Amino acid sequence: MAKPIKTYRRIAQISTLMAIFIIPFLNVWEIYFIKGTFYSMDIGDAAIADPLAVFQSIVASGKLNAYMIGSVVIPLALMMLLGRVWCSWFCPYYLLTEWIEVAKKKLGMNLKKPAYDKQYPSRASKFRFIFLLLGLLAMMVIGVPVLNLISAPGILSSQALVIVKFCYVTFELVIVFAILFMELFYYRYWCRLFCPTGTFLSLFRYKRGMTVYKVKADCSMCHSCVNTCPMVINPMADGESLHCNNCGDCIDVCPDNKKEETLKFTFK
Amino acid sequence: MARNRFTEKLGKVLNTNPFKNFFKLNRMRPPGAVAEKEFMELCIRCARCIEVCPYDSIHRADLFDKLQIGTPYIYAETRACYLCMKCPSVCPTGALNPKLTVDSEVRIGIAVINQDTCLNYLYYKEEIEGVSQGYAQLCNTCNNVCPFTDEAIYLEKFILPIVTDKCTGCGICTEKCPTTPKSINIYPIGMGVKEEGGFYSRKNKLHGKTEEITETLHGQDLIDTKRRMTSFGSKDDFKYNVEIKEDEDVWQNQ
Repeated sequence: MAKPIKTYRRIAQISTLMAIFIIPFLNVWEIYFIKGTFYSMDIGDAAIADPLAVFQSIVASGKLNAYMIGSVVIPLALMMLLGRVWCSWFCPYYLLTEWIEVAKKKLGMNLKKPAYDKQYPSRASKFRFIFLLLGLLAMMVIGVPVLNLISAPGILSSQALVIVKFCYVTFELVIVFAILFMELFYYRYWCRLFCPTGTFLSLFRYKRGMTVYKVKADCSMCHSCVNTCPMVINPMADGESLHCNNCGDCIDVCPDNKKEETLKFTFK
Repeated sequence: MARNRFTEKLGKVLNTNPFKNFFKLNRMRPPGAVAEKEFMELCIRCARCIEVCPYDSIHRADLFDKLQIGTPYIYAETRACYLCMKCPSVCPTGALNPKLTVDSEVRIGIAVINQDTCLNYLYYKEEIEGVSQGYAQLCNTCNNVCPFTDEAIYLEKFILPIVTDKCTGCGICTEKCPTTPKSINIYPIGMGVKEEGGFYSRKNKLHGKTEEITETLHGQDLIDTKRRMTSFGSKDDFKYNVEIKEDEDVWQNQ
């Protein structure tokens, strides 16, 4: 039997988490093949930057240069091809929230997961796009890319760099910990409803890219995929939704998949 | 009339962005930084310049730097910039001008010498007055450590350090200055321009918090005049204890 998708996902996540500490160390040892943080990094000669961060500085300054455009090509191509895999497969903050969820289960705490209903995905989508818009509006009024101050993965990686290089942290880490602490009381609220980076990425979702799709017309209708979905959507119907981040938890949990392929990642 | 003045003031408040342009003495942006206002717009706080700096000169701003938190700063008093020119090329948004590769073209600030505390100036004054306070000594550190000795800084009459407009503002002189408080300080570029001063500089002025800044800094004019000034007047008023015949050339007679 094939290993569950979650195994591969964990490997990707943990290696990303380790990478944010290893990259600065490589830099200290004068190996410059891979350098940077999750706001912006270079792998070889390929430049990668957080599309939202670049978008903000373009809007704030009214300037555009080739390097800015070049650096968002790779993340946006990945986004269009594989969906919002950045969030579920690589983001260090997402991994922390998953560990918090495990801890909550072990401690017997109430997960407080909202119940799924048909209106929920569209309501949640509206909420997070309005939050992003408000954030961008605030950013334009202030004239400084301030949304970066609440971008959890970027803060985590840049703080890791500061820890490795200078052995101190700056106040931004407190912001992340505050967000993370609230995670104890609200189920995945940050990734689901607030995170501006994830919301901005999901704008570039392309229908032909990788999506969760119910291949077979009928299934046992156990709804275990709906119950397990961390984004509180229905994977059988809402695979193309901007909310889905292709984590693959629904595919792992589906009992029908063991007999015959029912729910799987597809390219259309 | 009064109303006009009010609207003028209001316009000034509204026209200057309160969140950009927050200057402090001895705190510069990394080399190649565009004007402070633009820098705040462009910088995405990615820490690339911090990572690449081999001397650990560039630090990440903390909470006390207000909304500038996360942006890169060089604190000249702890560790100055050694002008290795690695950081401008890594900036992903052009907040640091990537075309800047020559170290002598860097302009991140300008050094200003406090003539009341600089050891060399004290020495010279004591020599003129002929009275010793007991602590005068020749120092010359700023002249010796400057990467552009005799261009950015030179010794007038071989004793008084003078900063020229070739000063890059790297801050090495500030870092190495032996006096406390520092006798040579870096004014970051744009700090002296009153119109660019943001919310925090105004607030600081109101509360009189940063007295050293408001006292020594009265706009770009002061810096300019300080740079233009020679350290002596038209003629030095040193009292010689021998009679000097100015019209006689001593050397020829010997």
